[in-house]
Amino acid sequence: MKLVIKMIFTLSFIGIISGALLSELSGWAEPQIAAHRLEDTKNAIFLVQPKADNYKKLDLSDFELYQVSVSDSIIGYALPYSGSGFQGNIRLMIGLDSDLNKITGMRVLEQVETPGLGTKVTENFFTDQFINLSTNPFIDCIKGAKASKDNEIEAITGATISSKAVSRIINDGLIKLRSLKKEGKLG
Amino acid sequence: MKEVTLLTEYTKGVWKNNPIFIQVLGTCPTLAVTVSAINGIAMALATTFVLLFSSIIISSIRKIIPAQVRIASYILIIATFVTIVDLIMKAQFPELSKSLGPYIPLIVVNCIILGRQEAFSSKNGIIRSALDALGMGTGFLIALLILGGIREILGNKTILGFQIMPNMFEPWLIMILPAGAFLTLGLLMAYLNYLVIKKKNREKSQLLAKYRIANNSLPIDEEI
Amino acid sequence: MELLLIFFSAAIVNNFVLSYFLGICPFIGVSNKISSAFSMGLATTFVLVLTAIVTWLIYHIILLPYHLDFLQYVAFILVIASLVQFVEMFIKKVSQPLYSALGIFLPLITTNCAILGLALFIVLRDYSFVEGIFFGLGAGVGFTLAITIMAGIREELELADIPEPFRGVPITLIVAGILAMAFMGFSGLITL
Repeated sequence: MKLVIKMIFTLSFIGIISGALLSELSGWAEPQIAAHRLEDTKNAIFLVQPKADNYKKLDLSDFELYQVSVSDSIIGYALPYSGSGFQGNIRLMIGLDSDLNKITGMRVLEQVETPGLGTKVTENFFTDQFINLSTNPFIDCIKGAKASKDNEIEAITGATISSKAVSRIINDGLIKLRSLKKEGKLG
Repeated sequence: MKEVTLLTEYTKGVWKNNPIFIQVLGTCPTLAVTVSAINGIAMALATTFVLLFSSIIISSIRKIIPAQVRIASYILIIATFVTIVDLIMKAQFPELSKSLGPYIPLIVVNCIILGRQEAFSSKNGIIRSALDALGMGTGFLIALLILGGIREILGNKTILGFQIMPNMFEPWLIMILPAGAFLTLGLLMAYLNYLVIKKKNREKSQLLAKYRIANNSLPIDEEI
Repeated sequence: MELLLIFFSAAIVNNFVLSYFLGICPFIGVSNKISSAFSMGLATTFVLVLTAIVTWLIYHIILLPYHLDFLQYVAFILVIASLVQFVEMFIKKVSQPLYSALGIFLPLITTNCAILGLALFIVLRDYSFVEGIFFGLGAGVGFTLAITIMAGIREELELADIPEPFRGVPITLIVAGILAMAFMGFSGLITL
C-alpha cells in the first residue's frame, strides 16, 4: 500500500510542478506570440496594398478581412485566404481594389510545396503577375502559353499544380467576397 | 568496475557512442530538419537543452522515483522541458520555430533522450549525467551539422545562407527532398563503416605481422 | 469524398514514413522480416486510430475550453503511453497467441514518432473528429505499406552480396531513399 501511495505522490508532485512551471511560462510567451502574428499580418497587408497607410479589421463573424485606406479614404481590401496546394495548405494575402475588380498584389504567407519547384510561387516573378490583374470574371492560370488577356497569369514551368492552386484559392476568396458585398456587409 | 573519467563521460557521446551514427537513435528529426545547416544546429541545440535538463533533474531524483512509474515520470519531465523550449522558441525565435515546425514537439519521442535516462541518468550522479547529456548532444550536433551541411551545399548551393557553390552549379534538388535525406545518411554511414573496417583490417595485419616476427609463422587459421 | 482524400493522402501521397520521416526507428529496426513488419504495422495502425480519437477528444473537450493549450505535449504523450499500456493488457487478456506474436513490439510503439506526430498534425490542421480518424487510418495503412515493402526488399537483399560497409543500416537507408523517390511519383495524384 505504501508503494502505491509513493507512486501516486511522485507522479502528482512532478505533475503539479510541471503544470505550474508551464503555466507561468505560457503567460510570458503568449503575448509575444500574439504580437508576432499581428506583425506578420500587418506586414503582409502593406505588401499587397503598397499605397495604403492604414488598415482596419472588418467585423464579420468568422471571416477575416481587412479594409485598407490612404489618408482616411478607403482604397480596397486585404484578404487572407487559404486552400489546398500540391503538398499541403497554402495561405495567401490578397489585395483587392474597392470594386473587387482588380488585384493590387498577392503574397504567399504559408506553404509547404515542393522545394525548388512549387516553392517558386513565393518568388517575385510569379507574384508580380498579380499586380493590376483583372478579376473579370475570374482569374485564369494558363500553362504553356503567354498570358494574353487581362485576367490571365502564366503557370510556373514544372509547378503547374502549385500555380493553379494559387489562382484557385484567389478565385474562391473572390466568390466569398462578392457574396458578402451583395449582402451589403462590406460597408 | 572500470573507472571512467569525467572527460570520457562527455567524449563517448561525441564519437564512439554517437547517438546517430553508432546507436542509430533519433533518426526521425535528423532526416527531417537537415534541409539546411542552420535548422540542424537549432534542432541540436533544442534537443541538447531538453536532454541536459531532463538528465540533471532525473538524476537528482533517481533514488526517490519508484521503479514502476519511472518511465511515466521520465516522459512527464521530458515533455515539460520540450514545452519550455517550444514556448521560448515561438516567442523569441518565430522564424526558426516556423521552419522547424512540428519537429520541436517531436523531441518528446526522440529515442536519444528517453534512452539516456533509462541507460544512464537513472543510475548515475548529477555531474556524470550532465556530462553524458552534453556529450550525446554534441554528437547529435555534429551529425546534424554534417548531414545538414551536405544537403544544403548540394541542394541549395548555400551554407548557413551564404552561397558557396558557383552559379553554374545546378543544385541537386533531390537533396532537399526526403529521398535525398535517406540516401545521404545511408551513404555517410556506409563511409564511416568503411573507415572503421579499414582501421580494423590495418590493426589485424599489424598484429599478424608481430606474431609472424615473434614465432616465424602465422597463426593456425591464417595459414593458406 | 473529402475523407477518402485525407485517407489516401496520408497513406500514399504524403506517406508518413517516406515524406514526413515519422516512424523511422521501427521502420529500420523491425523491417527485416515480412511477418514481423506486417504485425508491427497492424499494431501501430490500431494505436494510431485510438490515438486520433482520444487526443482529439482531450484537446477539444478539456484543453481548449480551459485554455490549457500549452499542456498539449505533456497531455498527449501521457495519453499515448497509457493507451499503449491498455492495448497491451487488452490483447494479453483477449488473445494470447496474438500477444505472443506482437508482444515485444507494443511497448516500442510509444516512442514511435508517428503516433505523437499524428496527434500534433490533427491539431495543426484542425481536422474534425471523423477527419482525424480517417487520417489516423491512412497514416497506419501507409506505415504498414512502407514497412512491409521494406521488409520484402530486405528479405531479398539477404541473398545478395552487399559490400561490407553497407550491411545493416546503411543499405536500409539507401533502399528507403529509392522507395521515397518511387512514392514521389504519387504526388499530384490527389490534390488535397
